[in-house]
Amino acid sequence: MATKRIQKELQDLQRDPPISCSAGPVGEDLFHWQATIMGPTESPFAGGVFFVMIHFPPDYPFKPPKVNFQTKVYHPNINSNGSICLDILKEQWSPALTISKVLLSICSLLTDPNPDDPLVPEIAHVYKSQRNRYEETARAWTQKYAMN
Amino acid sequence: MGWIKVITKESLLVAQREDLRKIMDLLEVSEKHARTLLIHHRWDADSLLAVFLEKERDRLLSEAGVTIVEPNVLAPLQSSQVTCNICNEDVSADAVTTMDCGHWFCNNCWTEHFIVKINDGQSRRIRCMFYKCNTICDEAIIRNLVSPKHPDLAERFDRFLLESYIEDNHKVKWCPSIPHCGNAIRVDGDGYCEVECSCGLQFCFSCSAEAHSPCSCLMWELWVKKCRDESETVNWITVNTKPCPRCHKPVEKNGGCNHVRCICGQDFCWLCGCAADQHHARSSCGSYKEEREKKTGQAKRDLYRYMHYYNRYKAHTDSLKLESKLKKTIQDMETISDSKEFSIKDFSWLTNGLYRLFRSRRVLSYSYPFAFYMFGDDLFKDEMTPVERELKQHLFEDLQQQLGANVEKLSHFIEESFEEFLHVDKILGIRMQVINLSALIDNLCKKMYEFIENDLLGRLERVTHNIAPYESKGVERASELSDSWDSDDSLSMKTCNVDSYLQWDSSANGAGSSESESPTDDSFYESSSPDESGCSSRKRAKKEALDDPPFNLNLPAEGFDKN
Repeated sequence: MATKRIQKELQDLQRDPPISCSAGPVGEDLFHWQATIMGPTESPFAGGVFFVMIHFPPDYPFKPPKVNFQTKVYHPNINSNGSICLDILKEQWSPALTISKVLLSICSLLTDPNPDDPLVPEIAHVYKSQRNRYEETARAWTQKYAMN
Repeated sequence: MGWIKVITKESLLVAQREDLRKIMDLLEVSEKHARTLLIHHRWDADSLLAVFLEKERDRLLSEAGVTIVEPNVLAPLQSSQVTCNICNEDVSADAVTTMDCGHWFCNNCWTEHFIVKINDGQSRRIRCMFYKCNTICDEAIIRNLVSPKHPDLAERFDRFLLESYIEDNHKVKWCPSIPHCGNAIRVDGDGYCEVECSCGLQFCFSCSAEAHSPCSCLMWELWVKKCRDESETVNWITVNTKPCPRCHKPVEKNGGCNHVRCICGQDFCWLCGCAADQHHARSSCGSYKEEREKKTGQAKRDLYRYMHYYNRYKAHTDSLKLESKLKKTIQDMETISDSKEFSIKDFSWLTNGLYRLFRSRRVLSYSYPFAFYMFGDDLFKDEMTPVERELKQHLFEDLQQQLGANVEKLSHFIEESFEEFLHVDKILGIRMQVINLSALIDNLCKKMYEFIENDLLGRLERVTHNIAPYESKGVERASELSDSWDSDDSLSMKTCNVDSYLQWDSSANGAGSSESESPTDDSFYESSSPDESGCSSRKRAKKEALDDPPFNLNLPAEGFDKN
């Protein structure tokens, strides 16, 4: 079931790719993808290209995919290992969701962080108390790690 | 009394139905929806109803994930062939299931979804697969889809639903017996109490540890930890024997009484080790003498302080263990007096005296860890001024000493009655003493608890420590749940036990053509009101169980009487 569903998602992505991201298998393994996310223009990540690793569990889509950033991001909900704190990747996952929808959610998370449920409390604190400093640092990180 | 019920494996279903029925009647919902509501509200029917009075019914239902649809809203799918949105397979319309919320997916996808959720231990609240849909899936649909391929998982699902009544319910706790007796206890009242399970284990309902009143749960937790931590230090100091104050030979105690006589003839007090006459226990051996340790350092003082309380606590606990053996002796005595021509036949005074001894010995024993924390610095350092503390400690120790002295006397007379029970003239005197002392001791226990509740714990300002109240008759034994069901008209439920429920359920789902089985299924699980169809299907369940020989063994005995 998983294979057919993943193939279908791949077809849909190729036929009708979302504006700011792309995704596909890394090699022969259909369950291991890599995706790229363009930093949203209205965010301090604008201009950056972020690489994201996707692993599909064997019981996909009944269990959520595992999604990790490979590029360093300065963000309250993304830690230094690239782990993402996003409800739809955990308890709010629904088999009716797709990778495309997950990537779009990550894009909106980049624009609108959720500092009240932080994965990195220090960044959340800066985000809440000194927004300018947060944006500066995020831009500097984007410059350093997400632009070549 | 009657607030404490034991819930056995057999009566778990009955216990659940009692609450389910309440909600079904008041909110006019089906059983499955009542269950979803109750699980969401942690089986607190009263708080659920309080929320119902505050909010609209619809909001109450939707928050819990209950969607009730009119039958005509769920129109059958238009075409005969549809594409499932999850697996993208084209399937025929009859291989698709629509949930109460109106979302439909193919049966294979639903089944996979249920299997993943059951395996994740989320059986109690399996939501619809649609993104952000809060509706809880219909339990009958889950059973029907999962059981053909995975009967073990369907069974697990049912067990989770049943056990939710215990796991998610603050009024119900598993009996902490090891190995586990399989029972749970329900307390419909103050949770600060001590209970006795039908397996015989007594425990504190609040913290599930052994019964420890008058210690609060926190005191007991700290005490147990302290005893474990200090045990190695104390072990070599507190030996099982004590030296005789005259001949210094180690003396082992062979009875419950703490007034001990060495073979050299010297009487001494087991508690303080001092030489003593008969009346020693009246004097001050229970009070802690600080000045004796003034020279020693703080750490050593703390250890001595702990040992003072620990030794007394342990001495009384050990006495209790030895005295417990007397129960058997009484039975033997009754047998002997029955067989011989003997003027005293009634030994109830002795049995009562012995139980009074057990209860008061326990109070006395736990009063030492209580005093250790009450008058120490660990918990209530700033609650009392030193003067106030000293005053209260003296008053408490006075009560403790009075109780202790009389407990030892009672223990002495009870032990003596066993030696003298053939001498009628003596036994009548002992009988008088035992009866009088029992009443006195009961009164002293009450006084001690009053002092604790009113003048000690009741006066705390910064923290609250609740204790199980003193029960003159001892720890309340949980009564069988089915007792309260005699007045109910649906007697058939009494006999429904978990096994027959599960067995019947899986056999209904597992075998036979689905067409012939499904009407029974629906009436069993979806009886939306306490109507005849609901009842009759339950009766059928029982009957099937009775027809099946292996299951007769699992039915409670009264099931056959009522049949």
